[in-house]
Amino acid sequence: MLSEITLGQYFPGNSFVHRLDPRTKILATLIYIIAIFLADTPLAYGILIGFAALVIAVSQLPVGMVLKSLKPIWIIILITMIIHMFTAPGETVVFTWKIFKITEEGLILGTKMALRLILLLLFSSVLTFTTSPIVLTDGIEKLLRPFKAIGVPAHELAMMMTIALRFIPTLLEETDRIMKAQTARGADFSSGNLLERAKNMLPLLVPLFVSAFRRAEELAIAMESRCYRGGEGRTRMHELAYKSIDYTAFGAVIFLAVGLAVLRWGAGLCAL
Amino acid sequence: MISIKGLKHYYTDADGKEVKALDGIDLDIKKGEFVAIIGANGSGKSTLARHLNALLLPTEGTCTVGGLDTVEEANMWDIRQQVGMVFQNPDNQIVAAIVEEDVAFGPENIGVPSEEIRPRVEKALAAVGMTDYAKHAPHLLSGGQKQRVAIAGLMALEPDCIVLDEPTAMLDPQGRKEIVATVKSLNKDKGITIVYITHYMTEALAADRVVVMEKGHIRFMGTPKEVFSRVDELEKLGLEAPLAAKVASELRKSGIKLPKDIITDEELAQALCQ
Repeated sequence: MLSEITLGQYFPGNSFVHRLDPRTKILATLIYIIAIFLADTPLAYGILIGFAALVIAVSQLPVGMVLKSLKPIWIIILITMIIHMFTAPGETVVFTWKIFKITEEGLILGTKMALRLILLLLFSSVLTFTTSPIVLTDGIEKLLRPFKAIGVPAHELAMMMTIALRFIPTLLEETDRIMKAQTARGADFSSGNLLERAKNMLPLLVPLFVSAFRRAEELAIAMESRCYRGGEGRTRMHELAYKSIDYTAFGAVIFLAVGLAVLRWGAGLCAL
Repeated sequence: MISIKGLKHYYTDADGKEVKALDGIDLDIKKGEFVAIIGANGSGKSTLARHLNALLLPTEGTCTVGGLDTVEEANMWDIRQQVGMVFQNPDNQIVAAIVEEDVAFGPENIGVPSEEIRPRVEKALAAVGMTDYAKHAPHLLSGGQKQRVAIAGLMALEPDCIVLDEPTAMLDPQGRKEIVATVKSLNKDKGITIVYITHYMTEALAADRVVVMEKGHIRFMGTPKEVFSRVDELEKLGLEAPLAAKVASELRKSGIKLPKDIITDEELAQALCQ
């Protein structure tokens, strides 16, 4: 039952986006997010939507699947939109009911906010759809490495993520087994109110934690006997390297960001 | 290859009592030898194993590996590269979420150049017959396969010796067969020195030499034939000789003339049919 949970949402493939270096994808996503906040005209939003659509098309991901990644947070998007609609200051009233009123400005602002959130999520989900968690970890380690000088433990973070990815399925299996064992002894995990249920989780969590600590210790000993001594002097089997497609992708996303910046401030600059 | 002289290991347990886990061990292991260590629970066999790659250090006495003393901290990583260790729980020694990444973990740690790692990984996986599983996720493998991946992870470090600490204790019979076969082939084909700790006597039959431990001492050692024909002594130490040896011993006691060195089912069958 629990073992059916899949980790991450990697969708294997061999498209242009899949083949990009993970660092390229992470950085491009960040640049795109910055670009989202530069947009303030319908044209700019149109360009952003067009770019996202293009990337999804190039990545050959099923469109329905990408859209589904919005599902868990559509309620947040809706609330954001409604709050902006009702609270934005404005003159042109479109609709009133008792003390509530919707202004045209509010309507526009609400739509903008919702659009920003949707674009942000869609674009970053393309990153997780096209990059396996392991490769993503490598990318994060490499990107954080320059910050080691100021105390960012890049290697340790990456090693923690690697081990977490390795052990999540193992611990899920174990949770399942303990749950069955405790159910056989009369434990009840599925009825009662929230508080009772939380309390009933105790006979599950205690053995799970004990075993996780034991595993951690054994793993540490096994790692030591395999000559692990931290990130110092360590090499990697797969060294990441930028290829020409990475430069193409960087070019495209930087062009987008610069274009939007010009759209936003260019008119002002001309007026000067 | 490995030379242990007057090795003692004492530690203080939770109640503050001093425990003599190892109390004067002398043992020499030659290069290319296959040594099995047997003994009841608490006999000190795991403690002994952990001295072989400097996971534990002697309280008294010395343990040298390839001429390097394990007490010297500067030798530690060389020793760990020379002597690999496989543990009981197959789940808790695999680090990465993909088999080949895990096998690459050791060479990455000792700083093998990137382009040399892949051939090492491929060789190591081939040596344990897991080439087809290079891209698999370890949690989907069987116990025996996981242990073979763990052995491959050590082979990628190109060690001279592999110590296996009850590697089959958590495996099903199929997995046990796989591990014994793998270990035998590494010993015969690759010349790897094997120290195999087990409490399955039948697994110890494959060894060149069997060491019997009890309460931190080596009680006796010899070839499997020498050791397992001493059925009564083994029983006193809480160990059970292989079934064939026991049957042969009982038959001898009841007056049937049988050779003294019967330890396998085949030998027993042959002797009885003559």
